[in-house]
Amino acid sequence: MTALRSIDVSKVFEDGFTALSGINLSVEPGEFVTLLGPSGCGKTTLLKIFAGFYAPTTGRIEQNGADVTNAPPEKRDTAMCFQSYALFPHLSVAENVEFGPKQNKVPKDDRVKRVNELLRQVDLEANRDKLPNKLSGGQQQRVALTRALAMRPSVVLFDEPLSNLDAKLREQVRREIRSLQREFGFTAIYVTHDQSEALAMSDRVVVMNGGKVEQIGDPEEVYQRPETAFVADFIGSANLLPFERVDDHTVDTPLGRFTVDDPPVADSRFLCWRPEAADYGVSEGENVVASDISERAYQGAYTDVHIAVPGAPDQRLHWPGSASSMSDRVTFRLPPDRIRFVRGELG
Amino acid sequence: MVSLADSPTATAPKKRLRTGGTLNRILMVLLLTVVTIWLVVPFTMAVLWSLVDPETGWNYPDLLPPSLTVLRWVEVWTTTALPQAIANSYMLAPTVAVVTLLLASPTAYCFARYDFPGKGLAQVATLLPLVVPGFVLAIFFSSLIFSLGIYSRFLSILMAHCVLFLPYAIRIMTVSFGQVRQDLIDAARDLGASPFAVFRAAYMPALLPGILASLIIVFIQSIEEFAIAFIVGAPNFTTIPSILYSYLGYNFIRPNAAVVSLILVVPNVLLMLGLERLLKSANPAQMGGKG
Repeated sequence: MTALRSIDVSKVFEDGFTALSGINLSVEPGEFVTLLGPSGCGKTTLLKIFAGFYAPTTGRIEQNGADVTNAPPEKRDTAMCFQSYALFPHLSVAENVEFGPKQNKVPKDDRVKRVNELLRQVDLEANRDKLPNKLSGGQQQRVALTRALAMRPSVVLFDEPLSNLDAKLREQVRREIRSLQREFGFTAIYVTHDQSEALAMSDRVVVMNGGKVEQIGDPEEVYQRPETAFVADFIGSANLLPFERVDDHTVDTPLGRFTVDDPPVADSRFLCWRPEAADYGVSEGENVVASDISERAYQGAYTDVHIAVPGAPDQRLHWPGSASSMSDRVTFRLPPDRIRFVRGELG
Repeated sequence: MVSLADSPTATAPKKRLRTGGTLNRILMVLLLTVVTIWLVVPFTMAVLWSLVDPETGWNYPDLLPPSLTVLRWVEVWTTTALPQAIANSYMLAPTVAVVTLLLASPTAYCFARYDFPGKGLAQVATLLPLVVPGFVLAIFFSSLIFSLGIYSRFLSILMAHCVLFLPYAIRIMTVSFGQVRQDLIDAARDLGASPFAVFRAAYMPALLPGILASLIIVFIQSIEEFAIAFIVGAPNFTTIPSILYSYLGYNFIRPNAAVVSLILVVPNVLLMLGLERLLKSANPAQMGGKG
């Protein structure tokens, strides 16, 4: 049985803006699913429909097989972690965590026990009587998650919970959220525009663009085998090339003729390869490219190298060595198994 | 009255205070001077005048009255309707404050949380009672009241005061409702709160300062209002300002007027200080701390 399911959900706002169209998504119990996309892609709208803050214009929402399309948020077995944390500023940490169980008429003894246990588990016991504004951003985020968990929800909805934290803390809280999710076993739906967050945390990534789902897959799938130009470009960086099909395993591109493992299909529009896919130091054989370098940017672990090829702008590759060890020309080979074909438009 | 501790400049980092030390000191002295001239001196004068002995008087060039007595206080208390007027005023003003707040809140809620065509115009329209002079309003209001067949003086003044002071309450409560955070409302609902619990958790903390401010301001406006209270209420229903005004004009008796002014003002000041305290202790979340 699926934990949460959207069936052909669309949302048109009063001002005529279509935020979502035809969203079909099933989330299994205990799964960590990320909704990934640029701002305005509809990911937060979908999350709010799951939470019950918006009703979908068409379509249905099912939770554990039951139709909850028109159930308000207070009647749903979901708990939300807000981007702004949304902690009650006049209540202490413990009172914030207790808020949910109190509203749901959990007896006082159970409630206190539950709160104490949770605060111990998330290491917030020392701060239990403090007001939220006396805590750091990371601690506030942890209180927000603890408050959601105190509801013992089957699904926790995260609305960009890390976007207000600095980079170092973000990684730490990200690991905390993931380990709490494994420990408590709740189903998580996590909205973010940060692709590295999505890749690092998720069991499954739902890439969204313009109110539609572009691709659903596990992190490796969406990175290594993007289906559309948008997914390839949005997750990591990708080189996209127009191509002409010669036969099933041979294509012509502005970079030359390539042998490929997976053949292009009817609606394939671009050949796609990742900047780190190139083999260096190979100068003979098939799929070898030699090109002038137009630009280079040292990035520490690698050097970002742009090559200039007529008809193929913005091709880049990650040179593993330092910038000074390079000449003005680069020679590399693209392994046939690292070349994909994608459909869809660019940008 | 807003205390300095609540204003944004006072909660700003200490560093700024240090760098602008001289300027701050000059401004502080200036403020104290102005406060002294405008508030402390007249207040002291009122106290002294109310204690002037009728036998000796207080004439130029005496800096202080030659002898003091509470005779005036006894006289005003025993020979006028002051005790009844105090009772009337202190029954009327709190009622006006509460009713005005209740009437203002739905309007303020809409102004703060909804967008609708003609909102700007509606907001200006709610300020109209402020521009009509009190006596003009009072004269026409009293005739309106009688043609409606409302004979209760208390009810009449209550209604008039509510209309007159609604603009203050609406303005204050609009700001307050605007400060209610949508994410807290959503969070409370998401955690299973009933509408009442959502109100308590998400609305009340943001509204409380506005509610208290609105109550205080309308209370003070109502207790000090003369035109309507006099024209609609006289002669059966006396309020403190009616008595105060009776000592002004043709039969001007300054010491007696001083007595009544003090009776009018002192409880207001105490009330305001008390509520100011309450406001601070009721809302620790509003003060200080990092975001």
